[in-house]
Order: sequence, then C-alpha cells, then structure tokens
Amino acid sequence: MIKTAMALAMVAAGAMAQVKPEDILKSPNADWLTYAGDYRGTRHSPLKQITVANASSLVPKWVYHVPKASKLEVSPLVHRGVMYITAPNEVRALDARTGRLIWEWKDGRATRSDVNRGAGLLGDSVFVATSDCYLTALNRKTGALLWQKQYADTKKGVFCSSAPFAVKDRVLVGTAGGDTGMRGFVAAHNATTGEEMWKFYTVPAKGEKGAETWGEYVEWGGAATWLSGTYDPELNTLYWTTGNPWPDFYDGDRKGDNLYSCSVVALDVDTGKLKWHFQFTPGDTHDWDGQSWPVLVDRMVKGKMRKILLHPNRNGFYYVLDRTTGEFLHATKLNDLVDWASGIDERGRPIKVPGKDPTPAGNRVCPGVRGGANWMAPTFSPDTGLLYVITMEQCDIYTSSAKKPEPMTGFSGGGAGPKPRDAGTFYLRALDAATGKRMWEYPMPGPGVAWSGTVSTAGGVVFVGDDEGQLVALDAKSGRHLWHFQMGEDLFASPITYAVDGKQYVAIASATAVFSFGLFEPAQSVELVKGAR
Amino acid sequence: MRTLAMCVLLGSAIVAGQHFQEGDGKKRNPAIGNIVAIAAGEKAFNEGCAVCHGQNGQGGRGPNLAHGRVMWHTLSDEATYKRIKEGVPSGGMPPTPGSEEKLWQLTAYVVALRAPAAESPQTGDAAVGETLFWGKAGCNECHSIRGKGGSIGPDLSDAGGSRSTTVIRMAIEDPGANGSKGFEKARVVLKNGTALEGVLKNRNNYSLQLLDGRGELHLLLMTAVREFTVAKQSAMPPNYKARFSAAEINGLVAYLAKQTARPLQAAN
Repeated sequence: MIKTAMALAMVAAGAMAQVKPEDILKSPNADWLTYAGDYRGTRHSPLKQITVANASSLVPKWVYHVPKASKLEVSPLVHRGVMYITAPNEVRALDARTGRLIWEWKDGRATRSDVNRGAGLLGDSVFVATSDCYLTALNRKTGALLWQKQYADTKKGVFCSSAPFAVKDRVLVGTAGGDTGMRGFVAAHNATTGEEMWKFYTVPAKGEKGAETWGEYVEWGGAATWLSGTYDPELNTLYWTTGNPWPDFYDGDRKGDNLYSCSVVALDVDTGKLKWHFQFTPGDTHDWDGQSWPVLVDRMVKGKMRKILLHPNRNGFYYVLDRTTGEFLHATKLNDLVDWASGIDERGRPIKVPGKDPTPAGNRVCPGVRGGANWMAPTFSPDTGLLYVITMEQCDIYTSSAKKPEPMTGFSGGGAGPKPRDAGTFYLRALDAATGKRMWEYPMPGPGVAWSGTVSTAGGVVFVGDDEGQLVALDAKSGRHLWHFQMGEDLFASPITYAVDGKQYVAIASATAVFSFGLFEPAQSVELVKGAR
Repeated sequence: MRTLAMCVLLGSAIVAGQHFQEGDGKKRNPAIGNIVAIAAGEKAFNEGCAVCHGQNGQGGRGPNLAHGRVMWHTLSDEATYKRIKEGVPSGGMPPTPGSEEKLWQLTAYVVALRAPAAESPQTGDAAVGETLFWGKAGCNECHSIRGKGGSIGPDLSDAGGSRSTTVIRMAIEDPGANGSKGFEKARVVLKNGTALEGVLKNRNNYSLQLLDGRGELHLLLMTAVREFTVAKQSAMPPNYKARFSAAEINGLVAYLAKQTARPLQAAN
C-alpha cells in the first residue's frame, strides 16, 4: 500500500512538471516525447525490463478504441504517465497505465480530414496540425485551446498530416499534397504564440536559384515535407526530407533535377537557412519521395568517427551522408529488386539504366511505387550498431501521361500499379548502419498493405508491426522470433515503448485502436471503494 | 422560449450583415437567419411542434432539436424543410400543414436552434458579458478562453463556434441540465490520508483520473484510494439566473457567442 501511495505521488508530481527542451534531449526514457522518441530519429529506448528472455510473457494491458477511426497513423507520445494520441483533427490524452480517457479535443470546423501522424509536446502544450493546416496548441492537462494558426493555404493544394516537432522555443511543421501540385515548405512557429518565425520553401519561386532545374510549373512542383524532421542540437541543424516532384510520373514539363525534391535539406534551426542539401533521386519519375527518416548517429566510417545521417530510400538504395557537411559517403542496394539504376556514383547520383521511365503503354520498373522503403519508421540500436528498416520487394508497371498539368485536379502525370497482381513481400532488414551490409532479415508475408514501423530497446528486442496485423518481437541481434500478437486489423503506425511506475509498456496504434502491452502479472482483486456509486 | 423570442426581436438590428450561405456556397432561403421569420417560426413551433419536441426544441416524445447531434453534420436547410413538410411517418411524425412561407419560417427557427451561436443574431451587449465573465460572475475561475482562466470547467475558447445560442444560454441558466460528464465535482481520500478535490475526468472501479483546482492531473489506481465522493450537482453555480439581470445574461451569452477557435468563414 505504501509502495502504491509512493508511486502515486510520483505520478502526481510528474504530471505537474513541464516538458522542457532538455527533457526532450533526454527522451526517450520512461517518457516518449517526440514522434521518433528522440531528436535523432533513432526510435531506440534505454528501457530494458522487457528482454529477449521474457518477451514471450508479453500480454495486452489495455486497448483504447478511437471513436470512428479507420486508419490511425499516430505514433503516440507519453509524458509522466499520460499518453497523447491523435486522429484526423482530434487529440486525446489517455492514462498510459489504464488506457482511460482523460480528455479529448476535436476540431469540428476542419475543412478536410486526412491521416494524422501525431502530436508534439513542449512546456504545458500539446501541438497538433489539423488536416487543413491549423497548427493548434492545447493545454496538455485539460485539452483546452491555447491558440490556433493556419500555416498553409489549403486552396493551394496543401494539406497537413505530420506530427509537429518541438525544438528549443519553436514548433516545426511540414506540408503534404505533393501528388496533385503544391509548393512544399518547412516552417517554424513560436511555441507560445503560434507566430511564424521562418519558412523554408523546398521548391524555388520562379527566378530564384534552383528554378532553372524545373520548367513552367515550378511553383506547383511539390517536394512536400509530410514527415517530421530530425535535429542535431550540437550542430544546431534540422534535417528534413522532401517528397516527389509534380507531376509524379511525367517529366516532360520539368526536365532537370527539380531541386529540392526527393532530397534531404539541412536547415539552421534558428533561421531556416539552408546549410546543405543532398538529392537522392534527381528528376524523379516514379513517385519515390525521399521521406524515409534521416537517422542521425555517430559511427566509425572508413576508420574515422563521423557524424553521419542514415537514409533508407524509396528508390531502393541505402545512403550514408556526413551530416555536418552533407558529403555523400556511400550507398548500397537496400533491395534485391532494383533495376532502374545499376548503382550510385561517387557523387551520390544514380547510375541510371536507360528505358526505365514510365511510358504511355506501361513499363515495369523495380522497386514499385511504394518504394524499396518508405515512411515506416526505422530504428537504430547503439547496442548492435544495426539499423532496422522495413523494406518492400516489389515491382510495378509505371505509366505516363503527357497531358497538360493542372494542379489540384488529381492529375499526377500517369500512375503505377502491380500487373499482374503482385502484392510483393515486406521484410524487416537489419543493416550494419555504417556499411549498409544486410546482417539478417525477417520476411513478413501478407497482403502488401502494411505501413507499420519499428522500435528497439536496450532489452535487446526489436518490435515491428507486420503486414498482417501483428505486433512482433524479435531478437535484435539475430532476428529470431520471440513473440507476436494479432491485433485483428491492418497496421499503419509504428510502435513505441514507455514506462510508468517502473513498468515498461509497448504501445502501437492499429487501424482503429491503440494497444498497450506489458509483461504478464497475475491480476489482483480490487476492492470496491467506499463512496463509489 | 420567452427569452429566445426576446432575443430574436431585439436582435433585428444586428442581423443585417450576417452571412447566410450554406457550406457549399448555395444561396439560402431568405427566411434563414431572418429575425422576423425566426420569431414567426417560433410561434408556429410552440403551437404545433413543441408538444413532441419540447420547449426550445429540447426534446420530449420527439427528438431534441438543439442538442445531441454534431452541429456541423445536421440536415441541410432543404432537408429540414422537407422533413417538416412531409414528416417522418416511420417515426410517428406527421406532415406539417401550411403555406410554403410558414414552413420556411419553421425551418428558420429549427436552423436557429442548432446554428453555432457565432453565426446567430445576438441581442446582448458582449462588452457587458466580457466584464461579467472576468469579473463579478467569476466564470474565469473555472473556465478558460485561449489559455486564460481556470481549468476545471469546460474550455470556452470555441463556445460560439461549437455551441448554439440555446445551448450556451441553458448552460448558464440551468447548469447540469445536460449532464456534466468529465466535469463531475469529486473529493478523493487516499489510503495514505491525502485528500484531493477536483473534477473527475473519468472513473471506473479500478482507476480514476482527477483534475484538481490547480489544474494538475492525478492518475489514481483505486487500490490507492480509501474513499471518494461525487457531487450530484454540477460544479457550476446554479443561481446565475437569480443573481444577474436578463440584460447581463444576454451580455454573457453574446460574449461567449463571439468566442471562436478559428475564423468563421473557415467553416464554409
């Protein structure tokens, strides 16, 4: 009893504490304070109560069904026993031990409803972007509205889906909509007032530097920024990946590299000024957004310790860059099925195989349009030195259309799809982070619909959502299966791990619900409390 | 009923300049939002419809027309008109006889019942209401607007954008009439003797989540709780109607009606 009361006191005191920037620097620990858990995009937790030895005893602790949800993509946040989850235009705070609702906020006036990938936390605020791009700050204890600020114009093809990213005194936001014409950007807003501090466009305006790499439709060029970024506090640099150029599958009106589409941009977090950029797929015609995570780690590369950026790309290659300078270090094939380029040259540009662009009649190209990798969250374990990344082995038939581009009409210059029906196969692959060497892989057969990701722990376990509605635990060293649980529906979100009162949990959103798992403990009888009615 | 009629009559000066377009930009019937038509519709409603739908459309044998639906997904004006005219035979609602003009007046009244207060004519002086809210009425001790004020009552930052005038008025004049789930006043005594007071966000036999008067959350397992009591009444004072004049309450309603989270045109 005394123990419980002490635990309670800890939770109560914890709930009072603000989320300070230095707390986010230490995340994840018991808390999980950003979309990827930390600033570096590693999704690796120091928690080690759940281990390779006991993961077989995992059981569901609670389930929260999100009313009317159909495709949750949220990566939950946890702060001092409170979990924050989002659905399109909605935020909820749950008791992370019990799954009970504390408060909910809905924006009944939002003019769009698209997917939403999560929230941000700073101070006493929880931040979310509505589908129609209102950056919204709520009191994290009550859900009361603090401010709302529309940061992108939905009448110009933009919608918003990514989790706001809190750094220092500001909240960074991105944009979606690059498949039907828009102009991507990253913006910083004051966390207290919502005022814009800077905005970096990922596509130049006409006449600006880089516009010569486009054609007439440059200002509708896309390069959307639909995932959160990562951040290196020592370099004061923000790393943000960008999406495909528009129209996706036909480049007749945009011959050139199309800067900064399919790239990673390194921005000064204080000013938004571009420090460097690296383009993975110049002049892309396969909708291969560069949106996979830029994971920031320090590793020995060719005998020298370097600050590097890891990037498994949708185009089927795995890249390692120097994140201080943007220097290309090397790239390796991520997938077995890659036929559009024979390799990456010493400057980091693809060595293209002729005849692999989309055609009016259709052209089979590998990887498929969903890519060799995509936005499914990878994880990096410093204990194993491995990057765990979900990859897809599949090819598609790509078609093109030379029709005059019309923004915001759904036109994307063609299309892509498997013919004959080929769902492809997902694999979780463990790569040596520095070299890209494949150390093991775990096939995840299924209908080919999954968009789930990963989390790794100091307990030596990697959790991954598979292609058939299961959360799976694997030995991080070997890929050996330890445990799985069928959640009964498709997965579009990545797992996280957190602890409350010294107990470790693993949580993941399925299509319509949030599940939280922990180690089995026999139930204890709970006496009815006096006064309860 | 009387108050709404007064509102409606006194508000005629304000109604000019209101924008009355449906979400798809279609021009609305001139009766919608028209103060005279709404008043005529209310009269007709009380004579014919209130028997089933209750005074102020608060429900009875027939459905509540002012609560219970998400306001942004209610029937269109035309569908409301059609339902009034033809009735709902399967649900026991008879057709409504009368001229097209009368039926549109009824429609205008029903639409006004559920329209966001921010888009409805207001009779009160919002400045009077603002002074009351932050002053002698003490609303701000429990309620917040854009981060200012207390936290144990519902946030009112979007009061006018998310609630009809009727709902705002009822919440002031008859608090708790529509329940207070998530805001029940409670006192909890822990097994270690600590006493906590606040509002219950959620509870069952195994855990409860309590927000105390300082705005701090307490996430409690019932194994740590010795006893707790929940007030049967809403935490909101029940006597505003007696304490303040009609003009003051109208002012408060008008002030709250002005509170919207985002610009109104964004809704269209």
